[in-house]
Amino acid sequence: MKRRNFIKRTTLASGGTLFMPQFLKAFEMPSTGIFNNKKLVIIQLKGGNDGLNTVVPFTNDIYYQNRGNIAIDKNGIFKVNDTLGFHNSLKPLQKIYDNGHLSIINNVGYPNPNRSHFRSTDIWQTASDSNQFLQTGWVGRYLDLTKSKPYRAIEVDENLSLMLKGNLQNGLAITNPKLFYQLLKQPFFDRITSNYTNDTHLSEHNLGYLYNTMIDAKSSASYIHEKTKTKSSSKTYPKNIFGKQLKTISEFISSGLETQVYYAALSGFDTHANQKNRQAKLLKLYAESMAVFVEDLKANGTFDDTLILTFSEFGRRVQKNGSNGTDHGTANNVFIIGKNLKKAGFYNPLADLSDLDYNGDLKYTIDFREIYATILDKWLNVNDTKILNKSYAKLQFI
Amino acid sequence: MKTKHILHLYNRIGFGIHPKKLATLKDLSKEQIVNNLFKESNHFSPLQIDTSFMNGIHKDNFKSMRKELVKKSRIKIKDYNYAWIHRLKNPSEVLREKMTLFWTNHFVCEDNNILYVQQYNNTLRKHALGNFGEFIKAISKEAAMLKYLNNKQNKKRSPNENFARELMELFMLGQGNYTEKDIKESARSFAGYNHDFKGNFKLRKKHQDLGIKTFFGNTGNFNGDDIIDIILKEKQCAKFICEKIYRYFVNDTVNESHIQQMTTVFYPDYNIKKLMKSILLSNWFYEEQNIGCKIKSPIELLIGIHTVVPYTFQKPKQLLLVQRLLGQTLLKPPNVAGWKQGKGWIDSNTIVTRLRLPSVLLNNAEINYSEKGDFKDVITNFRKKKLKRKAFIKTTPNWNSFDKNYEPLSYDELLNFIIVSPINKGTKVLLENYKSYTKKDFCIQLLSLPEYQLC
Repeated sequence: MKRRNFIKRTTLASGGTLFMPQFLKAFEMPSTGIFNNKKLVIIQLKGGNDGLNTVVPFTNDIYYQNRGNIAIDKNGIFKVNDTLGFHNSLKPLQKIYDNGHLSIINNVGYPNPNRSHFRSTDIWQTASDSNQFLQTGWVGRYLDLTKSKPYRAIEVDENLSLMLKGNLQNGLAITNPKLFYQLLKQPFFDRITSNYTNDTHLSEHNLGYLYNTMIDAKSSASYIHEKTKTKSSSKTYPKNIFGKQLKTISEFISSGLETQVYYAALSGFDTHANQKNRQAKLLKLYAESMAVFVEDLKANGTFDDTLILTFSEFGRRVQKNGSNGTDHGTANNVFIIGKNLKKAGFYNPLADLSDLDYNGDLKYTIDFREIYATILDKWLNVNDTKILNKSYAKLQFI
Repeated sequence: MKTKHILHLYNRIGFGIHPKKLATLKDLSKEQIVNNLFKESNHFSPLQIDTSFMNGIHKDNFKSMRKELVKKSRIKIKDYNYAWIHRLKNPSEVLREKMTLFWTNHFVCEDNNILYVQQYNNTLRKHALGNFGEFIKAISKEAAMLKYLNNKQNKKRSPNENFARELMELFMLGQGNYTEKDIKESARSFAGYNHDFKGNFKLRKKHQDLGIKTFFGNTGNFNGDDIIDIILKEKQCAKFICEKIYRYFVNDTVNESHIQQMTTVFYPDYNIKKLMKSILLSNWFYEEQNIGCKIKSPIELLIGIHTVVPYTFQKPKQLLLVQRLLGQTLLKPPNVAGWKQGKGWIDSNTIVTRLRLPSVLLNNAEINYSEKGDFKDVITNFRKKKLKRKAFIKTTPNWNSFDKNYEPLSYDELLNFIIVSPINKGTKVLLENYKSYTKKDFCIQLLSLPEYQLC
């Protein structure tokens, strides 16, 4: 459906001619960004996934010495090359890997790493230096720069994360478009938005901002609802939160929403104790859902234009701790899934386990902001320096 | 004093005022009302909850019970959140409490030890109207802050600059008013700061750096307090705090000449009380453009509704849920920069929650949320949890109190009492129609307007 047709349709659908001018206005704000069809799906493994037990250096003695009884032995992995193997739980991803649709970037981190979940998540979400505190996220600043509507970036959740908050515009948090739409369809919201007249003397006032945000929310809700209501994925996703989140994202993408960035998180990776079982379960959960998601995108012909980035706020210490777990570490691997990867498989070698920092943690070799810069520049075609406030080297994975 | 101005004053230094109370102030002068406010807040009542589970616990036996105690402490921090909200709903030292909220988002800190959290919170409360210099020195020695900004890891042999940097960037001067060298040198002066198990400040002599430091053009063997004193000599420090106070209490948009007046009052004694008094007695504080222009924080919104119609949560846990959905959970700031205020409170989701809040709190409307795990959530329950949950927020609204305090008011008077911002033209028309409603329903409609988000 063309943008204009949609406007007409929703305007009529929402009833009342009084509604029309405001809606048209809301949708016809000029956007200066250059938009393309590309989608970016960002997944955070919250809690700090143990990268070394995810992609296992199964020939490395240092790994086995340090990890003791929580090390993954050769039976617990499937080999992908002579020195590295995937945790067996990631078996569902093997096909994706074999097809050359998965690239693993090793040792991703940043200078002076912070080992607090909250702080390090902030750093990843805002793309700040470790001693810098930003109140906007990198996706939020992408919305600012492209003068986008909220729905250009969607978090599948009720609360909006810092990542999607900009100075001028915020993304949208949504789990169920139907519920959100029905909520906003209530006569109460209709009355408020439909009676709003744009008093020029109040347009600079915070009141104008409140009304416009409300109207934006309402138009976004009906836009998303209109677009997605007939879409339902035919694939069977695992019955858990993460599976459902990915299913929602897949439905959003295949419905042709103009949304470019999606964000969802899977939590529970903070494995200080009894790591083995727990991580195995979580990785299985991740891989099973992800495999269905990729199949689903392929079936809908949207895989070509979708790039999936999976990160965790940090990795874990090389040396296991006293309770069969691992403590907070630093650099970690990042998974990139997509159709036309320039460098499938391992983008770079795993860091030297005998050359650790003062804390016994991996040293990073790739700054995570280089990944962001690459995606912003090469995938979303926007000025990455303006969004990241700094120029970063570009990588060659896409 | 004009009704409108009394309302404005109470919206800003508190959470509104009901007509019954306002009637008792109407014949007083501005000076009298303002002086009364300060008199009420002269006293300092610490906010304390029962922490007896920590009695008899010390460094040595802590380890064996660690897991259990950490868990208990976390529950106690939730209790402290409830207790704080309760205090805000019924404040006897209202100005002090509002200032405490302000400082909470200035000296931003978070911890998981209830003893440190409580002590920190009361330090904010104690100094809220005191001397800024003494305040920041006390903050620098708080256990929670020593942990939060890693100053307890700051040692002569392995310096940690985190606290020193934020001291200048966020607490005292603002970005761009110091050099990297200033940070390095001042970090040396704070080396050795630490605390004991109970949260008392301890200076660890062996980790101190007693060498000569050069800081802001001064050279000497400075300790942490000396560094703070040197920064206080910078007029920029006074200006920085005045701007922040102006944005919080007066207007998001700073007026340079007002800031200049404030800075003159604040510098060089840094008397917070004197500064606040000068604002509340100024003419510009009551100017039209400063009334009804600020977006309320979620806490101001929650407590403001309570001023109109008192309510209690039947399940305290739902109080946390509401705070989360609105985007401000007390004691859980997003990071050391604090909550982004003003327009930062508003996104497509929070605006919807805000406008529905009165129906949810006072009329048993439904609210949707997901039982989302935080970092500490355990995997075992993961599969069982449903993505989508609906909940009825169970509250007990006290409409009798509303009747008692607001009954004599006409619809128009009620409107002017609850809405202080300009009203959108179209909405005005809408409100005319609402006048056929009962006063109770009319009130809920007013509380649900975008206009009510402003104070």
